Amino acid sequence: MLELDEKFFEKFGAEYSPNEIIFCEYEPGYEFYFIQKGRVRIARIISDREKTIDVLMPGDVFGEMAILEEQPRSATAIAMEHVRVLKFHRDNFDALLQGNPQLAYKLLLIFSKRIYDAKRRLMILLLEEPSLKVMDVLIMLAEQNPQYDFEGEISLNTNSQQIASWAGMAEADAQKELTHLTRVGKIDLYEDKVVVKNIRDFQRVVASKRKHMFS
Amino acid sequence: MGGSLQGGIITRTYKPGSIIYFENDKSEYIYILKSGRIILTYTKIDTGEELKEEVRPGEFFGVKSALGKYPREETAQTIGDTVVLALSLSDFEKLILKNVNVVRKMLRVFSNQLRRLNRTVRTVLGDSDTVNPQLELFRIGEHYFKIGDFTKAIYAFKKYMEYYPDTDYAKVAMDRIRAINSGGTVADSMPVPGQKKSSLDSFDSFSMDDSDGGFTFDDSPPLSGQNGSSLSGFSADDTGPSSEFSSEIDDFLSDSDDDLADFSFDEPVKPKGDSLQDVYNRGEASLEMNNYGAALEIFRDVIDRASPSNPNEKRLFIDSYYNAGICSFELKDLKGAMNYFAEITRSYSDTDKFKGAMFYIGRIFEMAGQGEKALSYYNRVMNMKPKDSMNSRAMDRIQALQKNR
Repeated sequence: MLELDEKFFEKFGAEYSPNEIIFCEYEPGYEFYFIQKGRVRIARIISDREKTIDVLMPGDVFGEMAILEEQPRSATAIAMEHVRVLKFHRDNFDALLQGNPQLAYKLLLIFSKRIYDAKRRLMILLLEEPSLKVMDVLIMLAEQNPQYDFEGEISLNTNSQQIASWAGMAEADAQKELTHLTRVGKIDLYEDKVVVKNIRDFQRVVASKRKHMFS
Repeated sequence: MGGSLQGGIITRTYKPGSIIYFENDKSEYIYILKSGRIILTYTKIDTGEELKEEVRPGEFFGVKSALGKYPREETAQTIGDTVVLALSLSDFEKLILKNVNVVRKMLRVFSNQLRRLNRTVRTVLGDSDTVNPQLELFRIGEHYFKIGDFTKAIYAFKKYMEYYPDTDYAKVAMDRIRAINSGGTVADSMPVPGQKKSSLDSFDSFSMDDSDGGFTFDDSPPLSGQNGSSLSGFSADDTGPSSEFSSEIDDFLSDSDDDLADFSFDEPVKPKGDSLQDVYNRGEASLEMNNYGAALEIFRDVIDRASPSNPNEKRLFIDSYYNAGICSFELKDLKGAMNYFAEITRSYSDTDKFKGAMFYIGRIFEMAGQGEKALSYYNRVMNMKPKDSMNSRAMDRIQALQKNR
């Protein structure tokens, strides 16, 4: 979490009530935000349904694309509970960086991670077979936690809806693949978690497929 | 390869053709090319094609994967004799904390990459890339309107009106907001305007008739204080601030503490030839959205344009004064706020904004750490008739202040 001067709270603090929109998809964006308190849901409306893309926690940054590029917001940010943020206008960015180089460093970390996540997601989406997509989502979720021992069973806190969203497929299709993997004994499927018996096995299958994708 | 320590940062020399790291290696080192040549080779993930990029002396490489703690995305190989500096994450942090411009440059590169990647992701997902943000923003409002999530619908419609005030859809957006505000639950029974979706694709073909789906639009302009100046409720002793109060206000304003210069987050919204009432309405919409900077600009504009001697404009003039005070207060510009509220207590003490102005003057003193003065204002507000939410707000502040003593 950023250690910022008290005066920042006075000058840049903003608060939102539960279910309040912080900014809206397609709205011109000039500010970026640091969450101080509460969770923020990032959502997009896809085919007339609101889909949650991410849930952000205190210490997270959002709206950061507005810093350097003049583009409309690519998603809607909604307060999930009482939320307190620091809100910075792009015009203050230089001054902000000069005064808070640690913030600059933090932004570099965030961008690095976001780029990798987007690239990793793209790798999943580019796989053709739905079964491989689902496996690769599970691999990605496992990779995200460095605590996991890839030689043993791995328990992932996720559900079929989330997996479908990552894989860019309908939930019913993802559910079908997950049921299949359960039936052949590769995973155990629970309401809010998936236990993968041998993640190395999935990695081998996906890697081999990927290797031959362009040949 | 030779290595030597230079205060934490390691200097490494490589022979031609050496690999500094392979794609998919994991490492937390960040490199700077000191001399020689290095080629980075990437595999493009969507086509499998190989891309090569040369690092120029003085440039960083291996930054993203080290910072993000993920595998290397590229292979780094030397051409010719090469010297690099290898930095640990903490060395790198120390170095860039002194060079904010380097960070800025990196952020720009990263943000471009991220934008490109996201665009590819959207293309793969089949989302259209050629959208009209203006139309889409309106559609977001329509989506929430349809499903009855009115808080969000109002937000999107208000933003639409703020950014695209001169379009036909801005009128529809305003009508939607009015429909929501006037009916609360009306949406459950409100026909979904889905059938007019096709007309949404073309702004030109739009007409108000399209949205006539069973609820009527209120054609009267939404007046904020349509009753004119109602004096009936005020008792005689509330007609103006005493000289004692006036001098306190003057003291406050002459105080040269200027630390609280106003600060605006928002882009001003420029009115374009609308009626004064329209402009004012936009200001109110911004104020409701807590866009104080934008709202303040608009109210200032109304104040400039309205003539208080014109009976039709007096109401807008006073309301704008009052709202400009609230905006300034929320933007922590206490002096600016005091100026607006003091003007109301001096010149318009016979209007319904007087009580609110007195309350906010109390708030200003409270914010400025002058609790006693704040209390005297709150006490006055609390005893004013008719009793309304302002009285209870004053009461709340009095209790809060007394608790802190």
